[in-house]
Amino acid sequence: MLGKIFDIEEFAVYDGPGIRTVIFFKGCPLRCMWCHNPEGLDFAPTRITKVRLCAHCGACNAVCPTGGKGKCTGCMQCLYACRQGLISIAGLDVRAEDVAERVYKNADLLKMNMGGVTFSGGEPLMQSEFLLEIRRLLRPMHAAIETSGYAEQDVFKRVISELDYVIMDLKVIDPEAHLHYTGVKNDKILKNLEILKNSGVPFQINIPLIPGVNDTLHNMNATAQLIKGAKQLHRVALLPYHKAAGAKYESAGKKYKPSFNENAEVNIIKAPFERENMEVIVL
Amino acid sequence: MTSWMDHQRSNLILGKNKSLRAPLDSKTAEKIEKEIQSDDLSLEMRAALRLKRFLENEKIIRMPDEHIYGWRTVPSFPDIYQEGEKERLQAGRHVHEQGRVCNLSSDWAGVISGGLLKRKTGHPARDLTIDAVIAYADRYEDEALSNAIRYGAEHYLDALKALRILHFALWASNVYHNTLGRFDQYMYPYFKKDVESGFITEAEALLYTEELFLSFNRDSDLYTGMQQGDNGQSLMLGGVTRDGKNAVNELTYLCLKASLNNRRIDPKINLRVNKDTPNELYIAATELTKQGLGFPQYANDDIVIPALVKMGYDLEDARDYTVAACWEFIIPGKGMDIPNIAAISLAKEVHESILSSIQTADSFETVLDTVKKRLQAAAQGVRREVDSLWMEPAPYQSVLMSDYVKDISSGAKYRNYGVHGTGFSDAVDQLAAVKKYLFDEKSVTRDALTDALSDHFQSNPALLRMLRESAPKLGRDDECIELADFLLDAFADALSPLRNEFGGIFRPGTGSAMYYLWHADEIASMSNGHLPGDRLAANFSPSLLVRDAGPLTVLRHMARPGLSRVINGGPLTLEIHDSVMRNKEGMEKVAMLVKTFIALGGHQLQLNAVNIETLKDARIHPENHKNLIVRVWGWSGHFVQLDAAYQDQILMRASYR
Repeated sequence: MLGKIFDIEEFAVYDGPGIRTVIFFKGCPLRCMWCHNPEGLDFAPTRITKVRLCAHCGACNAVCPTGGKGKCTGCMQCLYACRQGLISIAGLDVRAEDVAERVYKNADLLKMNMGGVTFSGGEPLMQSEFLLEIRRLLRPMHAAIETSGYAEQDVFKRVISELDYVIMDLKVIDPEAHLHYTGVKNDKILKNLEILKNSGVPFQINIPLIPGVNDTLHNMNATAQLIKGAKQLHRVALLPYHKAAGAKYESAGKKYKPSFNENAEVNIIKAPFERENMEVIVL
Repeated sequence: MTSWMDHQRSNLILGKNKSLRAPLDSKTAEKIEKEIQSDDLSLEMRAALRLKRFLENEKIIRMPDEHIYGWRTVPSFPDIYQEGEKERLQAGRHVHEQGRVCNLSSDWAGVISGGLLKRKTGHPARDLTIDAVIAYADRYEDEALSNAIRYGAEHYLDALKALRILHFALWASNVYHNTLGRFDQYMYPYFKKDVESGFITEAEALLYTEELFLSFNRDSDLYTGMQQGDNGQSLMLGGVTRDGKNAVNELTYLCLKASLNNRRIDPKINLRVNKDTPNELYIAATELTKQGLGFPQYANDDIVIPALVKMGYDLEDARDYTVAACWEFIIPGKGMDIPNIAAISLAKEVHESILSSIQTADSFETVLDTVKKRLQAAAQGVRREVDSLWMEPAPYQSVLMSDYVKDISSGAKYRNYGVHGTGFSDAVDQLAAVKKYLFDEKSVTRDALTDALSDHFQSNPALLRMLRESAPKLGRDDECIELADFLLDAFADALSPLRNEFGGIFRPGTGSAMYYLWHADEIASMSNGHLPGDRLAANFSPSLLVRDAGPLTVLRHMARPGLSRVINGGPLTLEIHDSVMRNKEGMEKVAMLVKTFIALGGHQLQLNAVNIETLKDARIHPENHKNLIVRVWGWSGHFVQLDAAYQDQILMRASYR
């Protein structure tokens, strides 16, 4: 089975228990203004250039079928043309077997370090069949997902039932604000949250803290209310916004234009969760 | 007290201490030169007299609130040779580096506990150096120091003061790469006694230790090396005792903390670990890694000790190992090994083997046989080249060795030579590419490869792309593992039958030192897609050409069983993005990664916390990054003071986040 991923990262430390290998699935239905993985947004291939080392010799665009201007076809000509080796292509078709094999080679090391594999993205649920196939091939390795929760309920249910750990984002609870900042409504997400709470799978809630967007007491209270008392909730992780989020946009040939003030200080609000006896960690 | 330390730390960055220095006036210099170059004196006596005069001419500086003395006030001192004399003496002889004793670990335990007087043997030159150092110490008018130097230390602070002066004098005596050995072992009795009796608090012990560590940075700009920072002031912590018991103690942790608080390039912290090392120590060490100094460098007792025994070291001595200037394993007090006497460019030997064999080879085995033969020839070449060693006598260093009745330049219990094998991963990758494309798949013809190599792929860019982008690479592709094992064995086999003129062995190693630049310059293009101008990897690390290597795969590939025979030293270097270590959870997982490498049987690991963005900014705005420290090959230095070629090599290393 073929799918699209844009990276495999060994030794991920903030993507689930222990030391993990993360598979980044390509394509995402959301368009969060603060997204720090711009190369994971489109399902189509994306050319990534280490722009800061680039001498702008033009060799890449000279061999590009679109002259470097159109949608990337994934032909890889630019990658080979770059003398300095600064180009990579994110999102070529790969076989589930190959992905699984690459992760499996270090299975002993992952086990030794109480870790496993994490499916991330992009939104991994967009390629749920591909994900499940890799998962099947990797059994019995500990497997986790990092998801926005934006998927049809049957897809969500089916995938998490095959996993050992779920990390799900709750970005903004207010539906209008969610639509504004992420490009989609959050009704599907909230329905899937209920499924997750009742699934028996241990989970973590990630909240990216974006200055002036969701780092308010009101939003944190609302979030805490939604997840309080969930038996399998392991902890809540707060992820303060980093200005480095925009760094990869230029490399991916995109522009970073957040509508919030990224220089504003992030409010780290733990109290609403701690009051409900939830473990909170700032990552 | 703390503010005084802060003041000292910042003065050293600004180099204010340099204002203490003034060259000898020309009359004095002339007079001394005449005296210490006298025809009537043996070289040994000249060296001893030189040290005496040097120390006499040093001014005594005592800063307010200072506990640890010793500031260089004389930047340079005349040498012991008359015009042209050195060249005459050295003609036809092999001269290692500067022709001086270097890279040794003194018997600090013996000298600090027993003092210098006991080491007088009636030998005029060696006894003269003892008198010279005692006279220098006496000028500080500190009874505790004077007594410690004469008879051995009583208390922790006195022991530190004595170590500083003894080590200071070692630099003045013209030997170099003066290491500090197993500090937490030889200092522990004093620390324990003072803290347990309430003579000092642990906080005071920490301050004194910080002050001592800081003192090693005072004059390091005067110390010889390839670049500033390459001065060999390494210090070893942890491990096991001579009788095999766990040697980790409170001082081990305190030293890690002192280095962390100082954030200075000296002393370079090494940590011995083994299967019994507690997580707690890995985490304390990771705290230090996080500071970005490139410390500690880990060595694995479980691999190193049995390997040293197999090479002929006594078990007790093997358990007592420390490192030379960078990473070479040596024995304190008893070793006169020259662990960096030569380097063989594995990358080049493999390259030449491929060129000379592929046209006629009937199988890949023939290529491998050619590699074996070439390595044997290269090893014999090294053997011949290093014969008839000439070395300047070193009376003062001799006094500091366990066997102080003879000059150390004439040998000690161990007198083995170490040979670096450079470009290891680049060599393995060449073999892997040739095996895959020329022999297994037969997708590239032999002519295509030789033609491409001869014109640096100008006429065949497609082959270049394939070799650089998709060919198997160590650190990423498992098919390289067997070739890595082959190359380690072949390197060991080539050196193991050889003996040096003193009967010592040749220890193959995985270090590269500065050869990663020099040897790269000797090679134009290679079968792994290496082009003129590309650099070789530092030490035992994946090639700089590999993309998408992951730390777990790298650890698994580099922890090779064959290292038990290639154990001169030379670490796997891993660069981890500093953001990984931003909180406790990240630190714990980095500590687990180190532990994993040790469990897999890796020999030596050098973990760097780097921030590529900061390094790049430092290239553009060096004035803003005066104190940015990076690990270069076996030592750490200030990034902005490095030559561009070294900066570039660091920027090309992959960093994991």
